[in-house]
Amino acid sequence: MSEVSSGNQMVAGNFNSFNVSTNHNNILNFITEIDTEEHQILQWLSPLEPQRRHQGVRADRLDGIGNWVLGTIRFQEWRDREHDCVKPVLFCCGSPGVGKTYLR
Amino acid sequence: MIDSLCDQAGGKDIAVVGLYCDFLSQQEQTTTNMVGGILKQLASRGEVPEDIQEAFQKAREDFGGRGLQLSDLVEVMKKVIKSLSRVFICIDALDESTPQHRRELLESLREIVRVSANTRIFLTGRPHIEDEITKGFSKVARIRLIPPPADIKSYLEMRLSRDTDPYAMDDKLRADIMRVIPEKTSKM
Repeated sequence: MSEVSSGNQMVAGNFNSFNVSTNHNNILNFITEIDTEEHQILQWLSPLEPQRRHQGVRADRLDGIGNWVLGTIRFQEWRDREHDCVKPVLFCCGSPGVGKTYLR
Repeated sequence: MIDSLCDQAGGKDIAVVGLYCDFLSQQEQTTTNMVGGILKQLASRGEVPEDIQEAFQKAREDFGGRGLQLSDLVEVMKKVIKSLSRVFICIDALDESTPQHRRELLESLREIVRVSANTRIFLTGRPHIEDEITKGFSKVARIRLIPPPADIKSYLEMRLSRDTDPYAMDDKLRADIMRVIPEKTSKM
């Protein structure tokens, strides 16, 4: 919100000297409207924020651990085979604490 | 998993999305919210897809601006996936969702995979939910995650380096930890 108001102030300050600044103001409002609508739609789809959890996981992850999984033929086939993939689902199972969440 | 898929397969028409199930968030993690959460990530990659905008406008016109039903979400998701070349959906700790939500989520994913040959699903969880997964999908690839001793050692070294009370540690204890824990875990 603060960005918008400072933008408006700037536009108001330049108002007498540049006609183009009125357009600038319109563009600003226009962008704000789109942002709000997009935000509303995304919130309406779901209140969950999995990206936030993902950032936490990424921060705690230790490089290299679990990378052997990415080298397995089973994983690579699942990832790379195009339309002839017979097994679209890959289940990675293990006991609690073995690092399932922290696979890179 | 999300990051390596992004690195290796990421691109304009390729989407990698994910969810983390959690015992502590079971109430919030309803099937509708989870499927909506996947769709939300597909929608926020760039401009919101038209199919989603349309559904939103339509719902807003209805009395009180109702939310989407699960079946609506699945239908919209199918359309959005169709416009992409590949989609990877990663769901972590599926065993931490309630049995009912898990069943509904798997049913929704099955329906999506049935019509979307470009979609891959990656699931993690404890072994006991395997039957539920194989029941839902006819063919499932499986990897049993057993950390190799080198991974266990790197992890232990990292944890020891973050020890908040290093004075309680001596070389012998450290050596014992580094020897005994990898031994024991390899027998689990």
